[in-house]
Amino acid sequence: MTRRWLGLGWLLAGLWLAGSAAAFPVTVDNCSTPLRIDAAPQRAVIHDLNMTEMALALGLQAQMTGVTGITGWHKADAGFKARLGAIPELASKYPTLEVLLAARADLFFAGWYYGMKPGGDVTPATLARHGIPTLVLTESCVHAGAQRPRATMELLYGDMLRLGAVFGQRARAEVLVAQWRQRLQALGPRPAASAAPLRVFVYDSGEDKPFTAGAAAMPTALIEAAGGRNITDDMPTSWAHTSWEAVAARDPEFLILLDYQDGTGPSRLMATLQAHPAMRQTRAVKDQRFIALRYAELTPGPANIEAVEKLARAFRALGR
Amino acid sequence: MKPWRVHAALAACLPLLLLLSLSLGSTHIASSHVWSSLVSSGDAGLNAADAATRAIVVDLRLPRVLLAVLVGATLAMAGALLQTATRNDLADPFLFGLSSGAAAGAVAVISFTGERFGVWTLPLAALAGGLVAAAGVLLLEQRSPGQGAERIVLAGLAMSFLFGALTHVLVFAGDQRAAHSVLFWSLGGLGVARWDNLPLALAGALALGAFVAVKHRSLDALLAGDEVAHSLGVAPQRLRRQVLVVTALATACCVALAGVIGFVGLMVPHLMRRTAGLLHAALVPACALLGALLLLGSDLVARVAMAPQELPVGIVTASIGAAFVIGLLWQRGPDVA
Repeated sequence: MTRRWLGLGWLLAGLWLAGSAAAFPVTVDNCSTPLRIDAAPQRAVIHDLNMTEMALALGLQAQMTGVTGITGWHKADAGFKARLGAIPELASKYPTLEVLLAARADLFFAGWYYGMKPGGDVTPATLARHGIPTLVLTESCVHAGAQRPRATMELLYGDMLRLGAVFGQRARAEVLVAQWRQRLQALGPRPAASAAPLRVFVYDSGEDKPFTAGAAAMPTALIEAAGGRNITDDMPTSWAHTSWEAVAARDPEFLILLDYQDGTGPSRLMATLQAHPAMRQTRAVKDQRFIALRYAELTPGPANIEAVEKLARAFRALGR
Repeated sequence: MKPWRVHAALAACLPLLLLLSLSLGSTHIASSHVWSSLVSSGDAGLNAADAATRAIVVDLRLPRVLLAVLVGATLAMAGALLQTATRNDLADPFLFGLSSGAAAGAVAVISFTGERFGVWTLPLAALAGGLVAAAGVLLLEQRSPGQGAERIVLAGLAMSFLFGALTHVLVFAGDQRAAHSVLFWSLGGLGVARWDNLPLALAGALALGAFVAVKHRSLDALLAGDEVAHSLGVAPQRLRRQVLVVTALATACCVALAGVIGFVGLMVPHLMRRTAGLLHAALVPACALLGALLLLGSDLVARVAMAPQELPVGIVTASIGAAFVIGLLWQRGPDVA
């Protein structure tokens, strides 16, 4: 075992050396348009918890000048704050163009509805006018075009590799992604391979109608990677409203409840489900089968891997 | 205070407020840097920090304050003209369902294409939506000529409901996160101001100004009622339609860039009639001045109140408007409306 880790260490060191000598300019795919980066960013601004965690996983702190959109929505835990170090939060919600220019950002890593909205003052087009390239989160590309591909784990892997390439750390990213693939492979095949996959419902919010994840949203990929099936994966969008009737009719066997980390945890969501005349008849609610996952675990980011492992453990415990 | 003094005081406020708006914003920039950015001629020889400061002052704040002036003036002038044309004190530039038309256009683009056609995608879609709604109102008005100005208000209401329903269908059919973008179109904001889109707002303001310069006497005649106007050689129906077309065009230019900013077009004409009188040659320029001041001040509040976040400017104008009207009613002063 020790030898294996040692070997990995040497491999990492070798790759790091190779990575630091990576040739710029690099060109990566950015929502189906090529993005050319001439030199590794030194003053990057990164939006939202999940994308910041991607950057921290690659150890890009020295090349970051600020983060945005974290405390406006999330309570970041102590570990995250420690890894972020002295990097300041420039805006608690969406940044304005002025904030990004004042920070003299040389790259903005964000997504549509992750820090940018169509027609807003901060978009790849408005930033390009000031010479700031924008790396767009691939999961969010569904909002920038007609294509709405189904979410897979490749959304995470691909974005990590792109991020690595852009920062001249492609090799480090490849090692990380290889480790992640291995961890998910180690989960093994489903025990009851012949039976239909476990029917899973993702409950984000909503009383009169539930807000949940469609085919293009990351949870669909996480559930599939763990051996289940998102019951609302026939909605060709990312996140959307559906109806209680449609959800109850599909009789979910397992629930993913969004933990907003506001202190109440998933208990408020569970109470809503238990009070609902149709939902309380479903297998998942009757047997109280649920798991609470954080925002960072359900949006593309390193926490996805642990989320898949948690889900797989819970599914296996049910013999599925 | 004599009317001319009020106007002189307002005019004196404008440059002060302009300078203040350039110095304050979501990031702190020392006023000496603001000055040097404004007077320096180019990027050459600047270090990175100074170049960033210069970009903020010259490429973000300067077009933004100019957009505030143009949009505020346009909305106030359009409100004055429409209140005359419809003889309705509650008429405002969003009478024709322009706001809901623009929102429908914008949301259609947000739901189906995103920003695939560059930075002009949304403004043009909003402009088109607003103009379609306004055309609908004009068409309805044409169908029932001579049936009074109230018809226009009803037609505008119908278009508002129609396009409002369409917007909500689009939001529902598309991705729910697009709903947040609808907020921009209903509360307004000046954050997209750039040098290259300012001419659109300028065109709207100039069109209204030119119209008033040519037609102010005919508009005055309209105040005395259709019969009197007729005897003075003015065709009331034709003039009314001209007012609708020119204000719809000008307002649509504003909405395409800044969304729907309420209160300015509704209240400014009422306030200025007290000092500038009813005649359009004095009233409309006075409205333009106060409208510009009001929007400039509101945008300043919107930018600094929760910095570095920006409030939608419509929230500020609506709050100021409501507070002002409540204050006036409370005092039971001379008639407000």
